[in-house]
Amino acid sequence: MLSRLADSLYWMSRNIERAENNSRVLSGHLIHMVEVSDEGIADRDWGEILEICASKADYDQLYNRIDREAIIQYLMMSPLNINSSMNCMLYARENAKATRDIIPDDLWEVLNHFHLSQKDWQELPNTRQHTQEYLKEVIKTSMTAQGVIESTMSRGIPYTFIKVGKWLERAEKTARVLNVVCEKNRREAPHKTSNYYYWLKALHFLNGYDGYIKEHPPSMESKHVLNFMIKESTFPRSIRYCIDHVSDAIQNLESGKVSHYSEDLFQMLELVKEEIEQTSIEQMDMEELMKFLDHFQDRCQTVSRMFSETYYLIEPVHVR
Amino acid sequence: MLINYQTGTFFDEMIQSNGQPKNHYQWFYQLVEEFSEQELKEKHETAQLNFLRQGITFTVYNHTGGTERTMPFDFVPIIIPEEQWNKVEKGIKQRMEALNLFLEDIYHDQEIVEAGIIPRDLIENNPYYYHKQVGGVKIPLNNHIFLAGVDLIRDEHGDYRVLEDNLRNPSGMSYVFQNRYVMRQVYPELFYQHSIESLEHQLSELHNAVTSHVPLNADPDKKPTAVLLTPGMYNSAYYDHVFLAQQMGIELVEGRDLIVKDDVVYMKTIRGLKRVDIIYRRIDDDFLDPEAFRPDSALGVAGLLSAYKKGNVSILNGIGNGVADDKAMYVYVPEMIRFYLDEEPILPNVETYFLSDPEKLDYVLDHLDELVVKNVGASGGYDMLIGPQSTEEERVEFRRKIIEKPSQYIAQPTIKLSRAPAYQDGRFYPCHVDLRVFVMNGRYTNVLPGGLSRVALKEGSLVVNSSQGGGGKDTWILTEGGQSNA
Repeated sequence: MLSRLADSLYWMSRNIERAENNSRVLSGHLIHMVEVSDEGIADRDWGEILEICASKADYDQLYNRIDREAIIQYLMMSPLNINSSMNCMLYARENAKATRDIIPDDLWEVLNHFHLSQKDWQELPNTRQHTQEYLKEVIKTSMTAQGVIESTMSRGIPYTFIKVGKWLERAEKTARVLNVVCEKNRREAPHKTSNYYYWLKALHFLNGYDGYIKEHPPSMESKHVLNFMIKESTFPRSIRYCIDHVSDAIQNLESGKVSHYSEDLFQMLELVKEEIEQTSIEQMDMEELMKFLDHFQDRCQTVSRMFSETYYLIEPVHVR
Repeated sequence: MLINYQTGTFFDEMIQSNGQPKNHYQWFYQLVEEFSEQELKEKHETAQLNFLRQGITFTVYNHTGGTERTMPFDFVPIIIPEEQWNKVEKGIKQRMEALNLFLEDIYHDQEIVEAGIIPRDLIENNPYYYHKQVGGVKIPLNNHIFLAGVDLIRDEHGDYRVLEDNLRNPSGMSYVFQNRYVMRQVYPELFYQHSIESLEHQLSELHNAVTSHVPLNADPDKKPTAVLLTPGMYNSAYYDHVFLAQQMGIELVEGRDLIVKDDVVYMKTIRGLKRVDIIYRRIDDDFLDPEAFRPDSALGVAGLLSAYKKGNVSILNGIGNGVADDKAMYVYVPEMIRFYLDEEPILPNVETYFLSDPEKLDYVLDHLDELVVKNVGASGGYDMLIGPQSTEEERVEFRRKIIEKPSQYIAQPTIKLSRAPAYQDGRFYPCHVDLRVFVMNGRYTNVLPGGLSRVALKEGSLVVNSSQGGGGKDTWILTEGGQSNA
């Protein structure tokens, strides 16, 4: 397969996943925010949402203060935010358009359908209800797209690039959300009740509530939640699950063989797996956990870069 | 169905001057009569949405950037009886053969110039004549025209005439297939009891035609690797490229996916470089290779021409075809047929005046309001004056342009383009149509049965180009004689 197409598939997938995750975070926050009355806390919460879904620094450059409506717009449909749901869906469609000859027609139609309705959404008045409906539409589009991929694509090279993109994006986002919540926890540790509430919210952000509650009814222990979202090997949004699957997928791609060009990538993936394996969440305090999560996010970027280099997704520098 | 439908002084594909449908449209007419007004409306909408949903669009560029638009689809098909089609097919094959011989000739011995049939100036001053780049080059099958899209019109007597040959990068073939696909989806009733030439095998015909152009130095033990080279997703015909690549099962590549090393072309894959043998390119000649043509081209591949000349890669359509399909050379095609084949042309041209001839120039300047004037280098309906529909200012403007550079323009009498009913906005009305016929040449010549019927949906308009509000229709070639119960 052409490197350019592999690159497009990889980014199509990452963008779909990013749009879904960001939309879920924003949607979840809009629901739970109702319960916060303190202005100062509310502002800080919004800052955290920005940190999870985009970059707070970028936002601060455009706006001089935390403004709820501005942030919602910024995360949802702002053309100025490369991580807004609208932009992610747009990039996903552009990438799908560039790979139309290899993706299923149905996948293209799902993304194209969203694109065609985008304009109508933009024209709707800016109400909470419309916002929620739009975010739901993004999430549903992503899920439908994944359904098409799973039910129609051969488990070959294009499929692998799509899945690797999705898992890496997901793992990184999970780490980001947990990181922000750990930070909050550390700061506000004394209040037991708010503690409960933060971890519940984290699970909602990561779509992990249903899965978690079946394992741990009906408690909300921070260590349990962290263990579940970091180390649970059967939950498809946990860090471990994502990294294991990236590793397996690349093993398959290389038919189990390590070649000179893929050696670095394999070694890195083994290292990351080991790091997750050896992390003992029970014995770590919030500070250490944050360090681990930060470190893991860096690892994700390294894996992403190595993956791109291994398959020539990044133009090599021309030396003449 | 056709209340108040006036054929006027035009040849109508479907309706006789007494208001009754022609024989080969009788059954279609009866079937449509059975649809209620509501059904017709709903089906029409479903059909249009189908194109949008599938993203079968072309991109129109204007001052605000590009917008994706669908080509409006009209469900009333152009039906052609078998006998009539056979003649068209024969005429087109004859024309292709002559044009290909012409291209081979002028890039080698130039016999037709030596014989005094075509003036040397006309060839050598042609901006698309790339003798410096490809003169004397031997190409696979000696075939320059792998795919042509010949535009046909019918005059007021119903006779087919060739309007343009399109030997460079004819687009629109995907629409032929999509029009048929949508027709079958939305109007299945129309297909139940009638035999229409199928399009099923046409894409494998196209694939065979591509892969028959094996370059001289290709590995004889391997199947050749063919690719379709597109300028990218922002090109107006990108959907066409996607569709053809997908259906033929060949890789759709951009210039940046290819690299030339030691005069061999490779594509960059996730496993490293892979050799490419055949390139069906949808990039114009002057953008193909910045080393040989325009140095500012970012779409092309440096070194491609040299690989081509060495026989390491085939390029389809051949480089330099533009000299044969421009509006000035068009006038000489009947002469080419006589010269190379010693036959009389089966399909006539439209009468054309060269404005470099002072006598003709005077005539044309005096009759601008009756004639169609075209820039010989333009396509897509741009830089064109349709006399009877023009304003005084437009004529003044064209007069100025013509006098400034007469050799840049040709003029033709305004042909009374045939018309056919179109159904839009809940009613049937007559619209002008033409027909683009696709011809594939490899080891043999294959004419796609039917083609893309283009329709000028704006009432009274003569411009069928999709960039200017034209639409498409399905085209049916009847088999088994095509009478009412065929």
